[in-house]
Amino acid sequence: MTGADALEVVVRAVAVLAAFLVLPLLVGQTEHKVMAHMQGRLGPMYAGGFHGWAQLVADGVKFVQKEDITPAAADKGVFRFAPAVALVPYLVAMAVIPLSPDVVAADAPAGAVFVLAVTAVGILGTLMAGWASANKYSLLGAMRAAAQLLSYELPMVLAVASVCLAAGTLSLTGIAHAWSPWWLLWQLPGAVVFLVSAVAELQRPPFDMPVADSEIVFGAYTEYTGLRFAFFLLSEYAGIVVMSLLFTVLYLGGWQGPLSDQLGWLWTVLKGFCIAVVVIWLRVAWPRLREDQLQRLAWLVLVPLALAQLALTGVWVVLTA
Amino acid sequence: MSEPTKPQPANPASSNARPARRSSGGAVPGILKGLATTARTLARPTHTAEYPDVSPHLPPRSRGVIALLEENCTSCMLCARECPDWCIYIDSHKETIPATTPGGRDRQRNVLDRFAIDFSLCMYCGICIEVCPFDALHWSPEFEYSELDIRDLLHEKDRLGQWMPTVPPPPALDEHAAEPAEVAAVNKPPRTARTPTARPARPTRVTPAPEGEA
Amino acid sequence: MTGLDLAFAAVGVVAAASGLLAVTTRHVVHAALWLVVCLGSVAGCYLVLGAELVALVQVLVYVGAVVVLVLFALMLTRAPIGPRAEISTSRLHRALAAVLGAGVTVLLASVLLPLAHPVDRHETDTTVLSRELFGTWVWPFEVLSLLLLAALVAALAVSRVGARSGDVRDGAARAEAELRTARGDAS
Ligand code: SF4
Ligand code: SF4
Repeated sequence: MTGADALEVVVRAVAVLAAFLVLPLLVGQTEHKVMAHMQGRLGPMYAGGFHGWAQLVADGVKFVQKEDITPAAADKGVFRFAPAVALVPYLVAMAVIPLSPDVVAADAPAGAVFVLAVTAVGILGTLMAGWASANKYSLLGAMRAAAQLLSYELPMVLAVASVCLAAGTLSLTGIAHAWSPWWLLWQLPGAVVFLVSAVAELQRPPFDMPVADSEIVFGAYTEYTGLRFAFFLLSEYAGIVVMSLLFTVLYLGGWQGPLSDQLGWLWTVLKGFCIAVVVIWLRVAWPRLREDQLQRLAWLVLVPLALAQLALTGVWVVLTA
Repeated sequence: MSEPTKPQPANPASSNARPARRSSGGAVPGILKGLATTARTLARPTHTAEYPDVSPHLPPRSRGVIALLEENCTSCMLCARECPDWCIYIDSHKETIPATTPGGRDRQRNVLDRFAIDFSLCMYCGICIEVCPFDALHWSPEFEYSELDIRDLLHEKDRLGQWMPTVPPPPALDEHAAEPAEVAAVNKPPRTARTPTARPARPTRVTPAPEGEA
Repeated sequence: MTGLDLAFAAVGVVAAASGLLAVTTRHVVHAALWLVVCLGSVAGCYLVLGAELVALVQVLVYVGAVVVLVLFALMLTRAPIGPRAEISTSRLHRALAAVLGAGVTVLLASVLLPLAHPVDRHETDTTVLSRELFGTWVWPFEVLSLLLLAALVAALAVSRVGARSGDVRDGAARAEAELRTARGDAS
């Protein structure tokens, strides 16, 4: 490996880290503001001066100052390690998502599977946290999370499989290249399934049963304080970023748009941002689903829909090939 | 045995029927309605009052703080006695005013030494203001007088007096309201002079009263 | 010895060590978590050998689904934090298991080690893989997928049976019967 190569690796890693630290904060701030205005409020207004833009930075500083408590009855090692398990996978996932054909940290040949596999690992963090906290609310939260994530993983994988089939490749760059506006209609059921299961996978409302604050305090994260708690929050928002960008690349053609040669990455970011706003919007607009409704939706609506989409895509691909 | 069996067939049936009706009717429209409502609110101006930057618009009868008009107070102690919290402290002494006319009687007058309201105890019931017969206490809408030390919430006479300029004029009466008592008193036709024969024993007692009041 | 050999040895050692820990730890949940590490490093082995897709599927299916299921099942039990005497195996069991494990290891090692040769990585393209899978191995693959589909449908059917065929009346009758037995026990 030459010096230039090493430098390039470092630059790419730093870029991914920067994106990982900035984009979730951006989404978080957007959530603060959009949610506030959807409820007739203003949201944060003071931190940083202009419309509270630095609110989340201030929150971060606050979290750093807080005492780091590990409950006496907890399984200490697992408890301390869980936030890292929840956070790092999204960091890794972000590295393979292309913003444009050139702007991608690591162009994995099987990027789509990679992102799914890596985000599946992140779920373990929640389970570890819930079990190691030695708290019944945490345990209940972790169980709900496990049940929910297991059910929604399947439709998600099926929906992604349909797109990969349509594009004839597993590479995210390849999928975005193969995309054409006609996919908006053709892959619509798959897109809906993907979006719904992505929101469920992120445990965001209306699928926030695992952290339902009115029932089980804060689910698996009940016992966490300070930085470790902040890591869980960060992983949630990083998850929104990853899922929104993934949705953009899979279903909205990523960088395709006017002037895509120069502004490609901007298009991806813009579309991804819109999807993130939709995810936030769902949180404000809809109440929480009950556990049985949740499972029913996954197994009786999403899985059949995803299978139908897969079949449709398969038939179409075979017929046109 | 028959007791638990009877309601049971009915209960599951009704609980079965209800979700079915709900889901066939309003699931999807309800979902869209939620989205529409939030989007509409997003487009509208917010209701947030940016308090420390923009002072709030308070109605004239807001109960912020109690102001004391010291000249009106006669140290009659009515307010202190009526206060449910016993949080009004009044000290006064009597002062003798020598007679102004030779052969006249010396008169006594209450002088207010201390008048304090402890706002850490006050519950803003307004009873003191209602009972004061001399209009010495008034509501002011000012409310920004929080303190770092609870003992500083004991407002003494001069502090209470400082609130006086912030007391708003009384709101205008409703259109067909009865005349206020003061106005009615002024507008009353003047009394006709009393015939001395009507109450021979009284005059000595009645005549000093207006003088003493002033 | 190339870098690839080193990498393979490293993930191999991690896999073996975590596997050993998974079976020797006395915390049942820790065992599941060590299993994650073990499966992950096996995926790493695949990756070193150039089978990228297999490695990813390994992570997706085993870490993302199977271990999550294991953990979920453990949470439904009274999985305690810390070792417990009543759910630990006896000394004899442990000794026997150690002997058996060591025997299998020796057997496998004596058979496989002579065959070992430096890692020769050949990139398995997804296209190649799919051609193999849907060409040479299509029948086993299809039969397997049929089996899984049947299992899926059957699981759905089993979970739905109580709700639908049980019907309202059936459910009520069953509840009543249960109530009766419960009362009979109590009185
Ligand atoms: S308003 Fe306060 S001071 Fe006045 S009577 Fe009520 S409690 Fe006492
Ligand atoms: S404030 Fe009014 S009621 Fe209280 S002592 Fe003075 S005159 Fe009497």
